[in-house]
Amino acid sequence: MTELGQNLIDALALGSLYALIALGVTLVYTVMGMMNFAHGEFIMLAAYALFAFAGLPFAAAVASALLVGIAIALLAERVAFRPVRDADLSAQLVTSLAVAAILQNAVAVTVGARAQSVRTPAAISESTSVGDFSVPNLEFLTLGLTAIVVGGLGLLLYRTRTGLAIRAAAENFDMARLLGVRADQVIAIAFAISGVLAAMVGVLIVMQTGQVSPTMGLTPVLVGFVAVVIGGFGRIFGAVIGGLLLGALYSLLGVYLPEGLVPFREAIVFTFPVLILIARPHGLLGSDLGRARV
Amino acid sequence: MSAARFRSRPSVATSLLVPLILITVATVAGANGTPSFRGTVTLVLCNLIVVVGLQIFVGNSGIYSFGQLGFATAGAYIATFLTLPAALAVLQTPGLPHFIADAHLGSLLSTLIAATICGLLAIAIGLPLMRTSTLAIPISTFAFLVVVYNVVANWDRVTGGQSGLVNVPTTTSVESAGLWAGAAVILSLAFKWSASGYRLQATREDEVAARSVGIGVMRERLIAFGLSGVLCGVGGALAVHQSGVLNPTTFYFGATVTTMTMLVVGGARSVFGAVVGALAIATVNELLRGVENGANLFGAISIGEAPGLAAIGLGLLLLATMIAMPNGLAGGLEAGELPWLRRLGPWTTAPPPEPCDAIVKGAPVDRPADGALSATGISLAFSGLEVLAGIDLTLKQGETLGLIGTNGAGKTTIVNVLSGFQKSDAGTVSLDGIDVSGHSPARLARAGLGRTFQAALPFPHLSGLESVAVGAMGTGTSRRQALTVAADVLDRLNLLERGGLPAGSLPAGSQRLLGIARALAIRPRYLLLDEPAAGLNGAECEELVAILGGVREDFGCAILLIEHDMSIVMELCSRVQVLDDGRTLRIGSPEEVQSDPAVLESYLGSSFLAPVDA
Repeated sequence: MTELGQNLIDALALGSLYALIALGVTLVYTVMGMMNFAHGEFIMLAAYALFAFAGLPFAAAVASALLVGIAIALLAERVAFRPVRDADLSAQLVTSLAVAAILQNAVAVTVGARAQSVRTPAAISESTSVGDFSVPNLEFLTLGLTAIVVGGLGLLLYRTRTGLAIRAAAENFDMARLLGVRADQVIAIAFAISGVLAAMVGVLIVMQTGQVSPTMGLTPVLVGFVAVVIGGFGRIFGAVIGGLLLGALYSLLGVYLPEGLVPFREAIVFTFPVLILIARPHGLLGSDLGRARV
Repeated sequence: MSAARFRSRPSVATSLLVPLILITVATVAGANGTPSFRGTVTLVLCNLIVVVGLQIFVGNSGIYSFGQLGFATAGAYIATFLTLPAALAVLQTPGLPHFIADAHLGSLLSTLIAATICGLLAIAIGLPLMRTSTLAIPISTFAFLVVVYNVVANWDRVTGGQSGLVNVPTTTSVESAGLWAGAAVILSLAFKWSASGYRLQATREDEVAARSVGIGVMRERLIAFGLSGVLCGVGGALAVHQSGVLNPTTFYFGATVTTMTMLVVGGARSVFGAVVGALAIATVNELLRGVENGANLFGAISIGEAPGLAAIGLGLLLLATMIAMPNGLAGGLEAGELPWLRRLGPWTTAPPPEPCDAIVKGAPVDRPADGALSATGISLAFSGLEVLAGIDLTLKQGETLGLIGTNGAGKTTIVNVLSGFQKSDAGTVSLDGIDVSGHSPARLARAGLGRTFQAALPFPHLSGLESVAVGAMGTGTSRRQALTVAADVLDRLNLLERGGLPAGSLPAGSQRLLGIARALAIRPRYLLLDEPAAGLNGAECEELVAILGGVREDFGCAILLIEHDMSIVMELCSRVQVLDDGRTLRIGSPEEVQSDPAVLESYLGSSFLAPVDA
């Protein structure tokens, strides 16, 4: 019983990390209709900020990671994504693929292609006992952060003028623009938030693995994409559900799969969405996007 | 019809020859170069095969797949299993079944087997994936790539795990790679110009319009996905038998970015673009690699080693292309379509097809003279808002029925229900006495139901002739016959002259007529026209009325006409049905309807109360 509970807490923690990734991806998708391949590289660059500022107090290094996350997201939006804003979905996807490849290789050239280790505070790797359970502090941090982010985004989207503008832009970008929503501003805000979310994820991943590498963003961005597909495009909280499901599945497979099959759990986890899409071609919370209007 | 009236079609031969010549030049240069240059050219040609494979799916469907390199991986491993000498196989792949490990096949046979398995794998993967939405496909194919990587990287006893396989027989010569590349180009062009290829291109141009002429979107995407898997498998299998080594990252993210860059920079819509892109980017890549390895530029500037520099360069090229030149170097055109090449001589263009009354010749004979398209008790509500409230409608063979009513009366919605684009909450639709409720638009189109839309929905990158021919191909007519039918329809609509131009370049009025021509090309027994005159000027309206009058005679189909211009309705329609707020207000002859007080009140307005002198 205790073991099951422990496994479920682990599953929930990984699920909420994945939900944070998916939120960053879906937010940009919602306002701009673009699935951003480079989100993984935003995560990676923020993680490298921790590596670069390892000499500073850890809190200062984390702050610099958040700043790097925002800065790179805003820069990529301004330089690469704004010119293709009106292009079709596929063209935008390829553009963000190009940005991802550039950032990834830029880090490989300047810092090195190998993984580098980063020291994190000892308190992170300790555990706290709650009743019968011993919960790693990192999982507390992940769960707490996700709860705050989801709650905060909910408030932002449904209780503020900025949130209204974002949702209006998501419904009908051109119309919102005609009605006076400042499109550039709304998109920049969405990218800035997604940059913060990416940075948080980057910091959490470094805390967990203790290292950074140029390709560390590839799996997270795929996780984010698949979570968005499972949840249903354009459904912000569908992405959260998709992320939770994927993370929980990955975590539980690690425990309950026969030992010989554990290395293949990534393959199993990424096959799973196909099963969902067979049953519901438009995701769990279904979106009309694929269905053309007449 | 004289050839001079027609802006000629591009020549098939030119489109085929130019890329083949490029490949031949590369092959000959490689064969006469140093061994290392020969090896490089061989790998470039293998890459080219993968890019052409990518083009078959991406270019024709307009949907990017990030998973095609997964098929290259599969092809490479499968072919290697078949060619690795038994003594080496025992050491490297102890987990393989004996009959595979002991096989020691030649290059051709192993490549063919690998290609076949990759094609079947692509069909199996594509079956669920192609059902999902246009945006879910890129992401699920990306997931497939990661799944393949994960499996080959961890299945140590069979694939050698992360360290991969070595000492693969190096049997791929530059000549054989060149031959395969030429075959790939021929296959992809043959597909592009087949009926299936045209149908897929139509879904890329406008999915809704494609479905309205009978095209099964998933089916066409699946065919191309399978063919693409075959070519990617061939490319992977050949490449590994050049380099002699294989590991899970050989065809992974980096190779995906490289091949995607080749396709996009060249221009995804054409095979010519794929070939040009593959060769151009390969050249740039080699130059950048030279810089990467610390070459001396012009003997003066020396740069240190910087692995990854080439990849940055490619990324920048891809980004610049997407922003500044989204159609790529070839502009989405085949060699035979290039304007500067077409000016060179008569060999660069093909004559237009002869119309020769194809409609009459090809008309289906089994049309019941007393058939009808009818809807009974159709009701529909959108999130509580009632749009249709029990509408009955019958369109009989031989008649033209006008459908009029205020905006929001439900005219377009009932047409959408009749043509399968909208499911109703209640009621049935029948076609010649057969219940067709809930049938897909494509299936209804194949049963003889044609329609147009309020917007013209052209296929911008197809020529006018091709756009209309796709209508006939959607309902199963062969390509050759479809082109003749299209020429015939265009001739009757006075559009043949402009048939060689891209549909997207035609003026709005012609695009509208093209929409009607496309619907006529399926040789419909029932034709539903949604405001065909909207946006036309006076002269164009008169022409439209004359054309529609002729259509009824020539094509022998019943017409349902939604139209706001009462003079057109009066002139063409034998009966008129008036809708108001989702209900039928009145059905009768044009004269009866025009003098009905309720109709005047609701729709025509008080000015019609005065006696009409028509």
